[in-house]
Amino acid sequence: MAFPSLKTEPARVSNLRDRSTRRHRLTHEQRLLIRKVLAHAFLLSFLAIVLVPFIMVVSASFRQGNFAPSRLLPDKVSLDHWKYVLGIPYTEVVNPATGETRVVKPVVPPLLWFWNSIKVSCLSSAGIILLSGTAAYAFSRFKFKFRTPILSSLLILQMFPMVLALVAFYVILDFTGTYVKWLGLNTQAGLIMVYLGGISSYIWMIKGYFDTIPASMEESARIDGASPFQTFVRILLPVSIPIFAVVFILSFIGYMSEYPVASVVLQTGNNWTLAVGANSFLYEQEKLWGRFAALAVLSGVPITVVFMLCQRFVIGGLTSGGIKE
Amino acid sequence: MSLTTLPVRQVLMALVLLPALYLDFAIYQAGNVWIALAFLIVIAFGAYIYLRREAYPFRYLFPGFLGFGLFVIFPLVYTVCIGFMKYSSQNLLPYDRALELLLQETYLSGDVSYHYQLFAQDAGKYILVLQDMKDPGRRFASEPIDLKAGQQSGASESVTPVTPIAPGTQPPGKPLEMAQVTREKLFIPMRGRQFSLPDKTIVTLEGLARFAARQRLYTLNPDGTLTNRRDGSIVHADPQQGYFVNQKGEKVGVGFRTFTGFDNYVRILSDPRIQGPFLRIFLWTVAFSIFSVLGTFATGLLLAVVLEWKEIQCRKIYRTLLILPYAVPAVLSILIFKGLFNQEFGAVNAFLRGIFHFAPEWETNPWGARAMILLVNIWLGYPYMMLICTGMLQSIPSTIYEASAIDGSNALVDLFKITLPLILPPLFPILISSFAFNFNNFNLVYLLTAGGPKMVGGGIAGETDLLVTYTFNLAFRDSGTNYGLASAIATILFIMVGVLAWANLRIGGRNVKM
Repeated sequence: MAFPSLKTEPARVSNLRDRSTRRHRLTHEQRLLIRKVLAHAFLLSFLAIVLVPFIMVVSASFRQGNFAPSRLLPDKVSLDHWKYVLGIPYTEVVNPATGETRVVKPVVPPLLWFWNSIKVSCLSSAGIILLSGTAAYAFSRFKFKFRTPILSSLLILQMFPMVLALVAFYVILDFTGTYVKWLGLNTQAGLIMVYLGGISSYIWMIKGYFDTIPASMEESARIDGASPFQTFVRILLPVSIPIFAVVFILSFIGYMSEYPVASVVLQTGNNWTLAVGANSFLYEQEKLWGRFAALAVLSGVPITVVFMLCQRFVIGGLTSGGIKE
Repeated sequence: MSLTTLPVRQVLMALVLLPALYLDFAIYQAGNVWIALAFLIVIAFGAYIYLRREAYPFRYLFPGFLGFGLFVIFPLVYTVCIGFMKYSSQNLLPYDRALELLLQETYLSGDVSYHYQLFAQDAGKYILVLQDMKDPGRRFASEPIDLKAGQQSGASESVTPVTPIAPGTQPPGKPLEMAQVTREKLFIPMRGRQFSLPDKTIVTLEGLARFAARQRLYTLNPDGTLTNRRDGSIVHADPQQGYFVNQKGEKVGVGFRTFTGFDNYVRILSDPRIQGPFLRIFLWTVAFSIFSVLGTFATGLLLAVVLEWKEIQCRKIYRTLLILPYAVPAVLSILIFKGLFNQEFGAVNAFLRGIFHFAPEWETNPWGARAMILLVNIWLGYPYMMLICTGMLQSIPSTIYEASAIDGSNALVDLFKITLPLILPPLFPILISSFAFNFNNFNLVYLLTAGGPKMVGGGIAGETDLLVTYTFNLAFRDSGTNYGLASAIATILFIMVGVLAWANLRIGGRNVKM
């Protein structure tokens, strides 16, 4: 290969190549080697910027005392923060001079927040798939009045930032709570209900996918006497599993990170989600970095692993226009 | 087939309809007539859609639209409406409630005063005995009442009746000396209470040693104005101010919320106290969004281009690890960076101090804080751009580059003359949605800096506040909440981002397939 795939050469490498050719008349192999070394150096230094924060959080979670993440390895190792997060009681020295100790045990084990988040995000995402999948089917396969205007207004109206609708959410949940207790303020069901409003971008994604599937199969099934609902469930759904996986993962991750609505709707510690709970460790007067770090590692790792495993799906879906919130 | 599916649908319908109708009835009985009516219309719509053939496509849309209507459209309309109202911590109550409070106000009507004595009962209760100062024969006693020493009683609005007792008789219990009343601070809870004589005169504690008669301060006139009994002045509601005012134009009582048309919008444009911070925050929001998009795009593209070079080993590992910031929940990453950028103890400054002897003020200097926000946002956002650019790059045929290489071009020329012109048009909609997303990137700013450092002379505005966090603070920070103004800004925000989304739809070619 005379021109090793020039399109992929980073600019820096190429400039250097020009200069070095003039001065030393390097062979082709040497030039290639230099470029490769530089590319690796660039990628490695970038990787360091990506990985170092995570390593520091892991180290902060094992470090005695509550210090902001600042070291690659903890100086004094202690499991206290992990015990706290898992809800295991541990003894702490209150006064080093007298050796006085006390037992520390969280009122609400922070692990519960992680579980709450998983619960809320899973149920919301499942609901999102149900609602946006059926709606996308209607938009993709039926002709009806105002179809196009409804589709575009869905997208435009969704641009209204959820944060600023909080007053209205509060009013709605306060109202529903007076009639249906488990659907009011400070309930996870209420929060899930609010989350189910955010379907429009997912309708677009799923509709885009449905549009790429030829309708000929469904038509022949219809000729054989199947109802539209049967063709939807038996024919379209089985071939659309990938897009549902993408929608599920994207909305799951979005809801795992949702802070403002959850912080207003959920008021007591036992109902909090991960985002609200994690932020509660970092209040202005006392920042409990150690506990936060342990919670972040404990809950961040499984989510990250699941995301990495499903990466292939997600990347395919992203190019069809989803955006992570 | 249709024989078996038909009854199932009817049964399912009944299972949903009956509880819904029951709930609607409960709402109606509780007095929320309009809400019950709206709910009934929704139920009727649902029944129509699922029972009639001609509305078939809407069977698939109805559930989704219900959620969308309740949690997107309703909040939007609600917010737009509040934007036209004067509605803040000063003008909080509805008009009826403010009027009611005003009518409850009393004044010292004067001539008759009463001595009082407290008789201690069991469990911290006391009986109050009143005696007319001029006519000692008029004596009254109350039921046993709760008085918690030194605490305001919560029963300030309720009125305790007292009944006449015969001269010479004593209620049960031990009478308290005056010194005991003051020492145990029993006058504090008593001050919050009102007692009504059999002739409906209200008496309250005046000073320490006596009770005096009070009267309602205002009487309601047929034309809706109020007459002040003490000085005879006329008070009327001023819907423009959201206050009751007297003839001299002085505010009276508590404010109420009221429709004021475009007042909030006029204030945003003309009131220097709001206009100043608003403009600065607006400019920063736009700058932040532009630089975020440019920064993430440039970083993502650079990495994608390098990783497309087939000569590099371990490309897969690099690519997987470089996606990490996208895979970790953003809330956690943002909070982690809050720690890393800590001015005194954070890792970033420890590193910079060690190598360059230089420690930027990420928290107190406005430019430092802005730089930090942008850096963190680029860190969070580049993997998304990298993924998308990778997809785009792989779709460009390599023959184009081979041809240009024969013409003696270099990588930089290729990037700007071939790659960018080819990938920018299809990327444009994604860049615009990324812009719109960052325009309202609440989590990042709220969790990282909470808008700080404070803007000098900007009230609650901070130097790194985006419009969305500023509005959130306007509406929800404890002091001086101003829902009306916040909602007006929210409406402006929505219009700006909505126009962007609309333009994106037009140019994005997404509508081709519709």
